[in-house]
Amino acid sequence: MSSSSAPQLRSRLPRLAEVAVQRARLTVVPRPRNRPRAPRVPFVIFVSVIMLGGVVGLLLFNTSMQQASFRETALEQQVADLTAREEALNLELQEKRSFQHVAYEAQKAGMVFTTGAACVLGLGTGEIKGTCVPALPDNRIPINPPGVEKPAALDPAPVIVRDKPDPKTDPGTKGGNPSGDGAPNNNQQR
Amino acid sequence: MRLKIGFIVIAMVLSVFAARLVQLQGVDPDQYAAMAAAEGSVDVILPATRGSIVDRNGEPLAESIDGKMIVADPALTTDDAPELATFLAKRLHLDYFQVLQRLRVENSRFQYIARQVPARLATQVVDEAEAEGFVGLFLRRDPVRIYPQGRLAANLVGFLGTPRKDGSARALAGLEDAFNKYLSGTDGEERYKVGAGNQIPLGDSTITPAVDGQQLQLTIDADMQFYTQQVLQQTVEGANAESGIAVIMDSKTGEILALADYPTYNNSAPDEWSPKRYKSSALTDVYEPGSTEKVLTLSALIDAGLARPRQQYVVPPVLNRQDRPIHDHWYHGIEHLTLAGILAKSSNIGTVLAADNFPKGELRRYLSDFGLGHTTGVGPLGESRGILPSGDAWTDQVDDRIAFGQSLSVNAVQMIAAVNTIANGGIRIDPSLVDGSASLDDGTEIGTDDATERRVISSEAARQTGLMMERVLDPVDGVAPLASVPGYRIAGKTGTAQRVVESCGCYDGSHTASFVGFGPTDDARFTIYVVIHDSRTGGGGAVAGPAFAKLMSYALRRYGVPPTDTKPSKLPVEW
Repeated sequence: MSSSSAPQLRSRLPRLAEVAVQRARLTVVPRPRNRPRAPRVPFVIFVSVIMLGGVVGLLLFNTSMQQASFRETALEQQVADLTAREEALNLELQEKRSFQHVAYEAQKAGMVFTTGAACVLGLGTGEIKGTCVPALPDNRIPINPPGVEKPAALDPAPVIVRDKPDPKTDPGTKGGNPSGDGAPNNNQQR
Repeated sequence: MRLKIGFIVIAMVLSVFAARLVQLQGVDPDQYAAMAAAEGSVDVILPATRGSIVDRNGEPLAESIDGKMIVADPALTTDDAPELATFLAKRLHLDYFQVLQRLRVENSRFQYIARQVPARLATQVVDEAEAEGFVGLFLRRDPVRIYPQGRLAANLVGFLGTPRKDGSARALAGLEDAFNKYLSGTDGEERYKVGAGNQIPLGDSTITPAVDGQQLQLTIDADMQFYTQQVLQQTVEGANAESGIAVIMDSKTGEILALADYPTYNNSAPDEWSPKRYKSSALTDVYEPGSTEKVLTLSALIDAGLARPRQQYVVPPVLNRQDRPIHDHWYHGIEHLTLAGILAKSSNIGTVLAADNFPKGELRRYLSDFGLGHTTGVGPLGESRGILPSGDAWTDQVDDRIAFGQSLSVNAVQMIAAVNTIANGGIRIDPSLVDGSASLDDGTEIGTDDATERRVISSEAARQTGLMMERVLDPVDGVAPLASVPGYRIAGKTGTAQRVVESCGCYDGSHTASFVGFGPTDDARFTIYVVIHDSRTGGGGAVAGPAFAKLMSYALRRYGVPPTDTKPSKLPVEW
């Protein structure tokens, strides 16, 4: 029942407000003949300039970035070179200030380590505790470490030659040559 | 008709495109994606810098610098090989014939010419070679590990071998090996696009930063280490001995200030030396401590209330025990010695008689508490824990001999840590080589922060033992006046032990001379132990004693330790 009454109501509405409905209808409005047209050229130029400016700017920016990249690469290389140079200088410095080198130079200049009695100076009181004695030349220590071990072939065991005394000819001489002429007594070598 | 033919041609062309599309996207898309990514992109390893090893004052003992390997492409170098080999051999001090051979290797595009060359030198050489018109030389990263102090603490620090092909370190010995992961860090990686040899500013770029290795700070004092090494060398050579060890320890903290082995080696050129020298003998080699062990026995007796320094003993010329008679190192009749006298004169018989008062197992318990028979944990440098017999192996005969330092074996660091217990008021503190804390490759943390301490004997027993040890250096009553430092109170003990040699596993008649002591006696700052194996010119007092005195004097002076201004011990040695 209700479904059939709704369309009837809609069909009646125009009749009720027919004038208002007629007024509200969309119609094509004619263009006024004498209205001025906006000029297109300045706009096109404006857009073109912006676009051109953007493109050129982008190009310059990119070029600048590329140049910065080249420069960065060159500077990185320079940093690597300088770092290597610094390391080389540090190596030299460390060699100069190694304990071995300093001790060698000090000992060459006549300096020795102090051993034996020790004395301590109190910086606050100026008091000396202990017995102060000068360092002695005997306090020198070996600075150079022993050399590299040689292979057995280059470092054979020492050959020890002992002369046996001959009691028949010279009981008082140990290991001497009985002939007394200074010649080696080969018979006694072993 | 034309239209149909046109459609067929277009269909065929599209089919070819489709097939290619399937090939690219369906068959092996990953490979093509990788190829596309690799096109114009560069992968660079960002090397982690290996941590330095420094002494307690920051003095570098091992550090890494930038290095290069010089590589040749024989395909390009063969033509000028003789001239180029001459040039390289002169500039880099290489073997001419070896270089020549490498420059001429057939069917190869990669030959090492020189490795681990400092970057500055390598770059200069290759630039000069190019300037002279040579081609085919290239540089690659090859880090260089340097040991700026030469042989200083080489037995501890160790060394790295030739780096692996990827440039990573190959640790071969010492702390370099034990703390390899800690020192190594992790390499990073960078990938970026290149154009004309330069990085494209807005191109793809990914960076995984490198994590540098950590610095390993030791407790070693490099100055003191140098002096200790030189004094040890002088002592060993002066005694015509086979080898020696010297250790200096901070009595209060257990920090090892110097640890010297002789003979040593140069870790900058390890291949010139026998691999037998790569170890630290102070940790790896064990030996019978001899009479230095008596201080442990007697301090334990005092702590257990079984003896006093003035206790009187009748010491016979010979003590006949189960399997063999026990003698003293000097011939004597019946001696009337106090406990202090037994130590001052180093009487084996007196020590055995005094140790007879120990209940069964008590001496072993004390020695174990002192740390004998256990590794010290100072670092995994191949430490041996020595031999402290137990169970059935601890017979009555062994008990007698152990009381005066035979039938057990120790390493030098173990022994100094044990005697340092007396210097430190009866509290044993773990010896340390690492300042702070550092991780071993297995994750274990070691160092001064992780050192533990425990009381072994009472402070009074330690004090009384120290007073008895002072008598050892007495010019009249003691056996080691040469170990004294004028103006200071020093406590010590000699040791002259028969020596078991590796070749026969038996006593070969040679001796180990040693001296251990600390000073000042009443406020100990340093404990020092000197061991000379196969000394030919005397025992502990005559050979190791003077070296001890030099080191103690140097240490006291270096750290500005004033004399304590107290009276030295006058404990009676006879009655």
